[in-house]
Amino acid sequence: MNTILEVSNLAKNYDNVQALKEISFSINENEFYGLLGPNGAGKTTTINIISTILQPDVGYVKINGFDLKKDPLNCKKMIGVIPQEIALYNELSAYENLLFWGGLYKLSANVLKTKIDETLNLMGLTKRKNDKIKTYSGGMKRRINIASALLHSPKILLMDEPTVGIDPQSRNLIFEVLEELHKEGMTIVYTTHYMEEAERLCDRIGIIDHGEIIAEGTLDELRNTTNANESIVIHFEVSINDKAELLKKSFGNIININENSITISSKNSGKELPQILTQINQMRLKVHQVEINKVNLETMFLNLTGRKLRD
Amino acid sequence: MLKLAIKDLKLMIHDRRAVILTLIVPIALISLFAFAFGGSGKSNDTNPISIFISDQDSTEVSRNVISKLDTLKSLDIKLLPLENAKEEVKKGSKVAVLALYKGFKDSVESGKNYPMELFYDQSRQIEAGLLQQVLFSNLMGIIGIKSIKGNIHKMIDEENPGLSKKELGEIYTKVDEQIAKFEKSDKNPDKSFMGMKATPMFSTPENNLGLVQAVAGVAIMMLLFSVTGMGSGMLTEKEEGTLKKLLYSPIRPSSILFGKMTSTIIVSIIQLTVMFLFAWLTFGLDIFIDVPSLIVMILSTAFACASFGIFIASIAKTRKQVESFSTLVILIMSAIGGSMVPIFIMPAIMQKIAVVSVNYWGIQGFYDIFWRHLPISDVMIRVAVLLGIGVFMMGISIKNFKKNILTIA
Repeated sequence: MNTILEVSNLAKNYDNVQALKEISFSINENEFYGLLGPNGAGKTTTINIISTILQPDVGYVKINGFDLKKDPLNCKKMIGVIPQEIALYNELSAYENLLFWGGLYKLSANVLKTKIDETLNLMGLTKRKNDKIKTYSGGMKRRINIASALLHSPKILLMDEPTVGIDPQSRNLIFEVLEELHKEGMTIVYTTHYMEEAERLCDRIGIIDHGEIIAEGTLDELRNTTNANESIVIHFEVSINDKAELLKKSFGNIININENSITISSKNSGKELPQILTQINQMRLKVHQVEINKVNLETMFLNLTGRKLRD
Repeated sequence: MLKLAIKDLKLMIHDRRAVILTLIVPIALISLFAFAFGGSGKSNDTNPISIFISDQDSTEVSRNVISKLDTLKSLDIKLLPLENAKEEVKKGSKVAVLALYKGFKDSVESGKNYPMELFYDQSRQIEAGLLQQVLFSNLMGIIGIKSIKGNIHKMIDEENPGLSKKELGEIYTKVDEQIAKFEKSDKNPDKSFMGMKATPMFSTPENNLGLVQAVAGVAIMMLLFSVTGMGSGMLTEKEEGTLKKLLYSPIRPSSILFGKMTSTIIVSIIQLTVMFLFAWLTFGLDIFIDVPSLIVMILSTAFACASFGIFIASIAKTRKQVESFSTLVILIMSAIGGSMVPIFIMPAIMQKIAVVSVNYWGIQGFYDIFWRHLPISDVMIRVAVLLGIGVFMMGISIKNFKKNILTIA
C-alpha cells in the first residue's frame, strides 16, 4: 500500500494554547481513516493544516509525495474538503452551486457537467437540482456540500464532522455514499466525535485528545490496547461521593466514577461481577442497576483519558 | 415602565454602533454642513473670492486700481495675461478674470465708459454675482464717482472763468448732491455707465448646470454606497463559510480578492453608465458632448469608487462594522466632495479640503466634460487622480484583506 498522506510532527499554537503537539500519522491509499476526539481536541486544526488554509508552526504534510508548503496548488488539486459548516450560495440552485465549485478546478465543461449529473444522482438530489439551496432541508444542503467536494475526483477526501446536526435519514444516506466512494478506491480522512460513526466507517482510527494522538490502529488493535473486553457499569441508589476513594482503592480497574455510578473494565465479567458485588455489599452500598458492555471506542476513550468523548 | 426605559438606555449606551448613529453621525454632518455653508456663526466672516486681473493698460491709474482692489479682504487677486487667465478660469482654478483693456487710464480721465470686462465661470454663478457686487461698489469708490465729479468740476471751471472760488464752491456742492442723489436713485441705469461688461465663459452651454451637479453628485454618492455593500461581500463569504471553501480550491488567495474587486468594478461601471443614460433619456442631459472623455471618466470614477468601497470593507472585521462605518464615511465624503452641496458655494477652506474626497474628483471631471467642455487632455488630470486614489486604496485593501479576512485562525 502506498502512503498517500504523511503528517509529521505537526504543531500549532494559538496564543498560549497548544492546539497540536507535534502529531504524526500516515494514511495509505484507499484507507478510511478516522480522527476521533472530543471538541477542542485538535481535529479541525489538523484538517485546516492538511487543507492548506492554516500554516503549522512546526512539522510538514506530504500529499501523494508533494510537500504541502512547497507545492500547495498541486496538493489542493488532490484533495476535496468537506468542512463542518455548510458553505453554499443560498440564492443559487444546487446545479449552479456545483457548476461554480467544480469550475474552480478547471475541468472541461463537458466533464464537469457529467460529474455534476453523476454526483447529484449519487446524492439522490437530481430532481431538485434546479431548486435554490435556500429551499433545501439541512440534510439536503449537507449532501450538496459533500457533492461540491467530489466533482474533481479528489485522491483524498477530508471530512470535518460532516454529519453535525442532520436528520438520521440524511446521515444514513451520507454513510452509504461514503462507503460507496471508499469501495471505489477513494482515501477518506474523517473527523468525528461520534464513536459509532468511526466504528461503522473507519478502517483505522486515531484517537486525538488535547492536541495529541493518544492511540491509533484498527478497531481490534485499539480494543487489544485496553486489555479488557468488557466494561461493567454499576448504578447505585444513592450518591457515592463519600465512598469514591474507598471504591478506587477496592477496584484498581475503575475507569470512571460519577455521582451515583462507577465503570469498571473487565476481561471476564461473568467471573468478576459476583466478587465485585460482594465487595460493594460490604461497603453497604445499594446497587440499583448493572450494565455489561462490550468494549467500544467510547469506553476505550474513557479508559485512555478518564473522560467521556462528549465531555 | 421606568425600569424598561432605563434598561433600554443602558443597552443603547453599550451599543457603540447605536451611539455613533444617534450622536456622532448627526454631529459630524451638522459640522460639515455648517462649514460647507460658510462658517462658524459670525456673519461678518467672509472668505475672499479668488480672481485674476489682466492689466493690458499697464498705466499708473490701472496699477492704482489693482493695488486698491488688492487691499480688499473680500478679494484674492493674482495678475495673469488675459488668455492664460481665461484658460485657468475655464479649468475652474478661479472664479473670474477682470480685464483692464488698453485706454483704461484715458477713459477714467475723460469720464468715458471704462474699457474693462469681467469673464466669469458660469458654473460658479453665486460667487460671480458676489464678485460683481464687490467690484462695482469698490471700483465706483476708487475711480467711478471721483472721476465723474472731477470731470464736471473741470468743465464748470472752463465754462465759467469769471466766477469766484466761493461761487464755484457752491456750484460744486450742488452738483455733488445731485450726483449722490442720482447714485441712489432708480434712474441709475444698472451702474453700467462704468462700462464694465460681464461675460460668462461658457456662452452656449448645452447642459443645465444644476442637472450636471445633481446627476454627477448623486450618482457618485450612491455608487459609493453600493460598492461598499459589494466590498463587504468578502466578509459575507467569510461569515457564511464560503471563503474558507474557496481557499480550499486550487486558486491563489489573491485571485479571490481580484475576482471580488473585478465584479465590484464592473457593477460600478454599469451603475454609472445606467445613471447617465437615465439622465439623458429623462432629463435631456447631453452625454454625447465628448464620448471618449465620458468613457474614461466613468471607468476611472468606477475604479476609484470601487476601490474606496473595498477599502472600507477591508478595514472592518464584520459586516455590521462595514454598515455603520461606511454610512458615516460616505456621508462625510459626499458632503465635503460636493455630492450634496455644490463645491462652488462652499467656503475656500472647504474647497481645499474637498480634494481629499473621491466625490470631488469625479464630480469635477463630469463638470469638465458636460459643462466646461474641456478637451480630454484636461480631463485626464482628474482621471489620473482618480486612478491614483484607486490604486492606493486597492493596495491598502489587499494588505488589509490578507491580514483581516484571509486568515482563518
